[in-house]
Amino acid sequence: MKIVNLTLRIAIGASLAASGVVHAYLYIHGYRDIPTVGSAFLLQGSVFCALAVLILAGGPGWLQLVAAIGAMGSLVAFALSRTVGLFGFAETGWQPSPYAAITVVAEVLTLLLVGTTALRQRPRASKDDVDVRRRSSSVEMPR
Amino acid sequence: MSAENDPPGMTRRQLMRHGAWFGAAVVLTVAGGEVISHVAGSAGAAQQSTRPALRFAQISDSHIGFNGPANPNVTDTFNHAIGQINSLGYTPDFVIHTGDLTHLATPGQFDQVKQMLTGLNTPRVFTVPGEHDSTDDAGQKYRQAFGAGTRGDGWYSFDIAGVHLIGLVNTLNMQKLGHLGADQLEFIEKDVAGLSSDTPIVVFSHIPLFAMYPDWGWGTDDATQALSYLKRFSSVTCLNGHVHQVFSKTEGNVTFYSGTTTAYPLPAPGQGPAPKPVTLPAGKLREALGVREVSYTKGQQALALKDQKLA
Repeated sequence: MKIVNLTLRIAIGASLAASGVVHAYLYIHGYRDIPTVGSAFLLQGSVFCALAVLILAGGPGWLQLVAAIGAMGSLVAFALSRTVGLFGFAETGWQPSPYAAITVVAEVLTLLLVGTTALRQRPRASKDDVDVRRRSSSVEMPR
Repeated sequence: MSAENDPPGMTRRQLMRHGAWFGAAVVLTVAGGEVISHVAGSAGAAQQSTRPALRFAQISDSHIGFNGPANPNVTDTFNHAIGQINSLGYTPDFVIHTGDLTHLATPGQFDQVKQMLTGLNTPRVFTVPGEHDSTDDAGQKYRQAFGAGTRGDGWYSFDIAGVHLIGLVNTLNMQKLGHLGADQLEFIEKDVAGLSSDTPIVVFSHIPLFAMYPDWGWGTDDATQALSYLKRFSSVTCLNGHVHQVFSKTEGNVTFYSGTTTAYPLPAPGQGPAPKPVTLPAGKLREALGVREVSYTKGQQALALKDQKLA
């Protein structure tokens, strides 16, 4: 069980780091000149790298929730930039290649892995609840 | 997802633990942002330490002669734009005006804009016509004023600092979208035929060469053909006016940049029934107007652009 959890955590960290590093790379190599979108790339890169480190270090569950929300936001921004435009910025298809594809795959992976982690832990939480209730009922009835 | 043994509710200890994780997240994010900015800054500084091989400014859609509530004094804002280019801190190699120099293409308006452009502190001024510059005579008055040294209906190309620049006319013989025409397409094909594929290419046109919003005519019907001749080049930058707003788009090796105006803003694509001048609240107009600096450093694949709002 612990090994599976650890593997999931490492995988989430890696997918976040991949997306964050690519955004930081694109920021350094030209995107910083694009109004608003450039700053968003800097923020995305630094937040995702920070989340990757903290999740790998065994941070609490809400960090993974934040990561999933961030990944979803990045995917929505990607879709907007390929359709109606995002703050006056638009790109086509999988440009810049291969970075666009790497980030989309990484962010979809983040969503899937966080979802898997949440699903795996749900039954266990209910078992804990039962244990807690059992313990409290035994305290109430000492006779 | 952790805290399996935690009782229901949150103890003070747990709160402190979560607070510590939150603090660590903020600190790491800020530190990461600093590192990335620093790396980007050093990359930029290294780039700046080599003087760009080419520096020019783009100015667009001055609409001299326009008179409406969206901008009651286009001459004043155009003068400010010229002053802003003259205050860049260096002399641009040239200034390109990407069309709609005048609003109604009258001889008086052409004279006025030509006179105003002489106030630019630059060795050369290039222009391409907008549809407002060729309202009633297929661009004849425009070519009389600005067509010296051009070919066909006013198109041309030139080389500076290893960069090949092409000025196109896509505002003649147009229906709804911009149109280049067979003669101009042939010119482009022949013009770039002898260039090596690593030559940076810069293309100027008034109407976008990409489909920014075809419902409003913001595109060029035969641009695909023109761009096919530029496919083999590693860096192609297309600069246009017409849409009165900053917009960028990348398609393969080509990056398109729409520039803003010095006259009045237009709505964002699809916002409203038609691209009519937008009247902004008092004091907000200049934020929607501006000029653009463009530079090219040898060894860099892409050109660097900096859009400035009108001061």
